[in-house]
Amino acid sequence: MTDMTSYPVPPKPRHTTFYSRNKLVITPLLFIAPAFAMFSLFVIYPIIQSISLSFYEWQGIGPKKWVGFNNYDLLFKDPVFWKALVNNIYWLVLFLLAPVLGLIIALFLNQKVFGIRLVKSLFFFPFVVSQIVVGLVFTWFYDPAFGLIAALIEPLGLKLPSILASEDWATFGVIIAGLWPQTAYCMILYLTGLNSVNPEMIEAARLDGARGWRLLVNIVLPQLRAATFIAIVVTVIGALRSFDLVAIMTEGGPYNSSNVLAFYMYDNAIFRYRMGYAASIATILFLIMDVYIVWFLMRLLKNEKGSR
Amino acid sequence: MAEIKLSNVRKSFGPVDVIKGIDLQADHGEFVVFVGPSGCGKSTLLRMICGLEGISSGQLLIGGEDMSSVEASDRGTAMVFQSYALYPHMTVAQNMSFGLRMAKIPKIEIDARVNKAAEILQIKHLLERKPKEMSGGQRQRVAIGRAIVREPKVFLFDEPLSNLDAELRVQMRVELSRLHHEIGATMIYVTHDQVEAMTMADKIVVLRDGLVEQIGSPLELYTRPDNKFVAGFIGSPHMNFMDAEAVHIDDGFASVAVIGAADRLITVPLRPDALVHKGQKVSVGIRPEHLLGTVGRSDLEVHVGVVENLGGMAYAYCTSKSGQEVILKSESEAPPRFGTTVTAELNDNYCHLFDSEGKTLSESAGAVRRQDAAA
Repeated sequence: MTDMTSYPVPPKPRHTTFYSRNKLVITPLLFIAPAFAMFSLFVIYPIIQSISLSFYEWQGIGPKKWVGFNNYDLLFKDPVFWKALVNNIYWLVLFLLAPVLGLIIALFLNQKVFGIRLVKSLFFFPFVVSQIVVGLVFTWFYDPAFGLIAALIEPLGLKLPSILASEDWATFGVIIAGLWPQTAYCMILYLTGLNSVNPEMIEAARLDGARGWRLLVNIVLPQLRAATFIAIVVTVIGALRSFDLVAIMTEGGPYNSSNVLAFYMYDNAIFRYRMGYAASIATILFLIMDVYIVWFLMRLLKNEKGSR
Repeated sequence: MAEIKLSNVRKSFGPVDVIKGIDLQADHGEFVVFVGPSGCGKSTLLRMICGLEGISSGQLLIGGEDMSSVEASDRGTAMVFQSYALYPHMTVAQNMSFGLRMAKIPKIEIDARVNKAAEILQIKHLLERKPKEMSGGQRQRVAIGRAIVREPKVFLFDEPLSNLDAELRVQMRVELSRLHHEIGATMIYVTHDQVEAMTMADKIVVLRDGLVEQIGSPLELYTRPDNKFVAGFIGSPHMNFMDAEAVHIDDGFASVAVIGAADRLITVPLRPDALVHKGQKVSVGIRPEHLLGTVGRSDLEVHVGVVENLGGMAYAYCTSKSGQEVILKSESEAPPRFGTTVTAELNDNYCHLFDSEGKTLSESAGAVRRQDAAA
């Protein structure tokens, strides 16, 4: 009688494969794998290689010679390195004008008027143009003999100094050229951001008595936080890796007065065959960017958590 | 005192006239509802009153002052938007106090006003939350709270309930009515939902194509519509319209025959200024609740299609022999059955007559009843 209790027969386990049981783990890995392989081969491996190269002396061909921290020692005593670093800081600070100018232009262009799309695309144009072309165009602008600026101020009785040939002004001349496309890029970011601002909210703010500057600061800018964040990030990275404009406009000159880290590195590697020394500059630039990128990623993660 | 007066107000967007001359008065403390089909200009009119939209011509008086060219924030109006339009980066308290902060009102007073409004709306526990952490109904309350704290002379609502689900809409409807009694301010409310209009309004303004079709109390509009458009727009399900012909006119009464029920004459009293001649094509309007579906009488025979039984009542969507759509209301216990033929019994007292332009010819049932009561 005690055996009367009947237990339900456990259902026979269905035949499953290893993949079907672990689908949720395996599939994402499969999707990530190709990108990860490429990223490792073309980004991570070269980074490691560059860092290790910075401890060698090497002409690009022939044997490498281990020199330890000698390259860095030389680098920190090199006045051109410090000049390039200071110039990079100029770039960084002045480039932050790009988000500000971009915002101003975006606010100005964010209206529904006939032909505004054409105007917007014209403003965006410099971003589409190759940096090389931007550099060439500005070089011609600055030309003291037949350049546009010289021609414009000549009737006023002013004479344009040779900006790109001046040790004091060359860097700023190049930075202004760089600001042109960068501003266009920030403008597009802000225009997109402005598009997603609820117009009823702006009207509500108007009814609440917020106008002009107070409307911008209290209501519009907080809505553009995401755009501002990206604009600043892209601008700072752009400033740190500035290279093509320097290469095309001044080649770092005159007397290295407009040199920046990226160009100095290129110069050492390609023209002076000091691969190890160039690698050490690259490593320093990499470390500077790292600090910044870590801050960027932490902000990004925090923001993502906040939005959930 | 904050009565609103519009005189011949017009609005054009370029060559397009949106508001084509509106005269309107809202008394102090009145709850006025603008209704009309989409694109009739009701929202535009509201935005013109609060100053978000300019007035092309005409005059707008609020509390006796000409506000036509006064800045939106200085008109003493507060608006509640359909999308709530809360500031997403601010907490509820900050949202509600933003206008006061912009007006540089002392902080103690701001806090007092926010607390009072939060109490009225029962959102005190939400004051530190951000809009995205709240439900639609709660956001709606905050939007109303933002209007209350400004202590405006006039509240403006632009379809405030249309983003809420049906149950919440009914609840907020009741609450808005309660709020109106509590605050006693003038309120103007735009909606396309005629149930909201009927239940909340002291005065309904029916708009179409930028013109006022009729202004009156909900019951006035329901029982004594000035034209076929108002008759059809107010009431749900809408009024039935049937083509008919005037057969006999006598001493302020007209007898008409509905197409498809020629042997049954409907006799209705005419308005004093109505001109009807024999043989004129007219339209007979009668509401579903005044059409009884019975079997075996010699009124209008209709074929029953879909029947919606709502529990308390049932609506039958029928077709007459001449192909006219007719809706019948009936008791829910014994509704007409799908596919059967019933006779729609017409009650003369509740019939309206409209001429081919849609103008009302008949004296309304309500007016008739009032006369009966007086006699």
